[in-house]
Amino acid sequence: MRVSLFITCLVDQMWPSIGTSAVEVLRRAGCEVIFDERQTCCGQPAFNSGYRSDARRLAKRFIEIFEDGKVDAIVSPSGSCTAMVHHFQELFANDEEWRQRAVRIAERTHEFASFLVNVIGVEDVGAQFKGRVTWHDACHGLRDLHIREEPRRLIQGTRGVEFVELENADACCGFGGTFAVKFPEISVAILDSKIAAIEKANVRAVVSGDASCLMQIGGRLTRNGSSVRVLHLAELLTAQE
Amino acid sequence: MEKADRIHSGSRQAIMTAIREQLASSEPFNSVHEENRARHEAVGLSGKLPVEQSTSLLERFQQSLNAVGGHCTVVRSEAEATETVRQIVAQSKTRRVAISDSPLVGRVLLPLTADVDLMKGSTKADLFTCDMGVTGAQWAIAETGTLALESDVERHRLASLVPPVHVTIIEAQRIRQTLGEVLLAIDEKGRDLSRTITFITGPSRTSDIELTLAIGVHGPAELHVIVLEETKG
Amino acid sequence: MAQQTSETFEQNARQALTDTQLRGALRNLADTFGDRRRLALKTVDNWEALRERGRAIKAETLAHLDKYLESFANNAESAGAKLHWARDAAEARAIVIGLLREKNAQLVVKSKSMTTEELHLNEALETVGFFPVETDLGEWIIQLAHETPSHIVVPAIHKSKKQIAQLFSAKLGIAPTDDVDVLTGTARSVLRERFAGADVGISGVNFGVAETGTILILENEGNVRLTTSLPRTHIAIMGIEKVIPRLVDLDVFLKLLPRSGTGQQLTAYQSLITGTKRSMDDEGPEELHVVILDNGRSRMLSHPVTRQSLACIRCGACLNACPVYQQIGGHAYGSVYPGPIGAIITPQLNGIEKARQLPFASSLCGACREVCPVKIDIPELLLHLRAEIKEGTASGTAGEHGPVKRKLIERLAFRLYAFAWSSQWRYELGMKLARVAQRALSHQGRIGKMGRLLSVLAPPLAAWTDWRDAPTVANRSFRDEWRQHLSIRK
Repeated sequence: MRVSLFITCLVDQMWPSIGTSAVEVLRRAGCEVIFDERQTCCGQPAFNSGYRSDARRLAKRFIEIFEDGKVDAIVSPSGSCTAMVHHFQELFANDEEWRQRAVRIAERTHEFASFLVNVIGVEDVGAQFKGRVTWHDACHGLRDLHIREEPRRLIQGTRGVEFVELENADACCGFGGTFAVKFPEISVAILDSKIAAIEKANVRAVVSGDASCLMQIGGRLTRNGSSVRVLHLAELLTAQE
Repeated sequence: MEKADRIHSGSRQAIMTAIREQLASSEPFNSVHEENRARHEAVGLSGKLPVEQSTSLLERFQQSLNAVGGHCTVVRSEAEATETVRQIVAQSKTRRVAISDSPLVGRVLLPLTADVDLMKGSTKADLFTCDMGVTGAQWAIAETGTLALESDVERHRLASLVPPVHVTIIEAQRIRQTLGEVLLAIDEKGRDLSRTITFITGPSRTSDIELTLAIGVHGPAELHVIVLEETKG
Repeated sequence: MAQQTSETFEQNARQALTDTQLRGALRNLADTFGDRRRLALKTVDNWEALRERGRAIKAETLAHLDKYLESFANNAESAGAKLHWARDAAEARAIVIGLLREKNAQLVVKSKSMTTEELHLNEALETVGFFPVETDLGEWIIQLAHETPSHIVVPAIHKSKKQIAQLFSAKLGIAPTDDVDVLTGTARSVLRERFAGADVGISGVNFGVAETGTILILENEGNVRLTTSLPRTHIAIMGIEKVIPRLVDLDVFLKLLPRSGTGQQLTAYQSLITGTKRSMDDEGPEELHVVILDNGRSRMLSHPVTRQSLACIRCGACLNACPVYQQIGGHAYGSVYPGPIGAIITPQLNGIEKARQLPFASSLCGACREVCPVKIDIPELLLHLRAEIKEGTASGTAGEHGPVKRKLIERLAFRLYAFAWSSQWRYELGMKLARVAQRALSHQGRIGKMGRLLSVLAPPLAAWTDWRDAPTVANRSFRDEWRQHLSIRK
């Protein structure tokens, strides 16, 4: 299985360990991983903010780059960015040629956990992490891509892990892209409900599939002086702790 | 009122035209949008509702009615029904009863004329002085414990609404399993729909204050259903 | 309480967040209705199939709304109803006032109707000397308090038992009490007198059946039945989108709406009213007037994305599930319809300029879409409206206007982002510059609370760091790692 890594700008520039971990996990699972350096961003910030012409420009570039690669799949460690690729077709309602290209690229683009469990059928990647951990369902992954069981299976396949289900695991963390800075008080009020649930769960780490949620949750935890760590699923699976 | 009528008919035309024009504007986008939507779907369309095979219609109805706070008594004769009503009258200290024009109700309540004031065809003012209302029902729904009253079949159904206690007498054979069946029965081809059809599921209630349930708001606070089972002979 | 508008949403929200009593009430709402709804779904064999049927029936109806509406009107009229048509709120109010004057109405009772709230009907009637009495407990409470509803289904949810007790004490002279049954009993006895004396009843309509000309109104309290049976004249206000094709379609919606709205299998009462009584000695009103209302709804038909808005059956489930509504409540939206459904229909009904913050006040989490019984894709609609606001057209709709409002600096920022990031070397250069610039701000790999000067220079960053630490751009990006180490092993 040959996969092209869609790293996402957030992981590339701010959380590279997620990327290196993802590559390692995919290799352990038997995949050949390529990385096309031309990639930049899927355009989600522009799309979500209403600037569709800007989003369209970045979407076209993404499609051109990724439809090139002679790979079996495009895999991304981000539910929201994968979901954005699935939204590309909405940007081309008036342009049938691009719309079809968008549909085809979406069919080949998978979120990391979903790819492992549903496409190549792997749930055990030799991971080890001792301690209580819990999972936060990132909204796009959960509700756009219907990813719920897959990450839980991968976590439970990790040796030494004591998995604790978070109260209201599927509640939003309050990030929502520019929402987090346009309406910061509301964003943080929503976030604090999530933080309260995390504290109640008494865990060593919170795991999620989206760096944006980790940024939101982690940023508040450190501000609060909490020792709870935030980890991307890929990082958990390579932690060996 | 002429001017108003002219304005109104102009408005009807204007609204209809607006609807047609806007729907036409949507045309170019419809198929692409529908295609996108269908692609995101993964739905199994069985649409069946659970049917309890083990319990009978009557048992199911009783369970459902109890679950919504109604009281169900099954009787085998009109005489037994009368006794049941007598007990409810005593329990609720009822003095005045508003009744509908249902012949069954008439027969069941007749022996009680000595005990209570029976008001048939009450005026509005009278209704408000009644402690209990007794009506029949044209259908009952087992899955929800619901009664269906059709105004063309039985008159003076306000007796089911105004007094604080409502007693319904219904034959067991009128019970159906689902709401869907009753809607079909009501909508029988070749027969005009009754002008008012009321579905009643339990006593009146509200959760408007801190989501705390309170029973008995504007409609009756108590609902009693007496089911008359068919007897041989 | 001063009337808040949707134009001051941000301030309204900030204020609401400081109201601890409100937030407690909202937590209670989210938990209680969430649990009740989840239990109620289990009483249906295949909830998803039912939702799909609901969606499909609504879609079919809206695609041919003119036909079904015509059918409804003709059948209702054949059965004796008088139909009136209102292009907008002003016309609707004029029609109702005209009818009240014609009937020389002395006492008007009203059952709960969000459509009448949309029309600001009570205010208009009071101005000309009619004083309609709200009879739904929640609506009556807020009428006494001179407030507006904060939820589509439970209008007084923002009020505590104590506040209601104090209100009743002040307005009705009863002794203050914590007992919900006593409070409810008070409402019953006071309003009973109104029911007895009313000559006109005003209601909304939940569904209008095209095939038979029937209107259906559902409720739990019994006030709708009293409002629509006792007075001699019944006026029903119905939005054009309330039409459904067949009587049997009610089976689907009567399964979806109560479960989604209050977690019930069925509400206590449903009234199916077709025209007027057959003879004068029957019970019921002598006259039924149905006022059919457009007021901006027909415009929503013009695009498949916005057309979904009209499928709404006003269950309120989206409010209960929304993380934003759960924190700020309904009044902060400053509009008749709050929550996710409010965020999409308020800009469309009132004009996008009046409510341009609302589509952005969402994290796009999708919880609303998940609970909507008729599968309205609310996030899709929010994004559609955002594009309309920022670019004037969205996915090719005929834009009647250019962009509504956008800060030039924001527009330039996104243009710059799209330009810079549409090339590999510009992207990589930009990130190198960011790495340098952040040295002034970062400490131990994080950016903490920023000083005032920097907050002015980079407000979005300050908006983040006022409450949360921000990560820094890594010294070695993933692509640096890839080039140096990772690509060696293929």
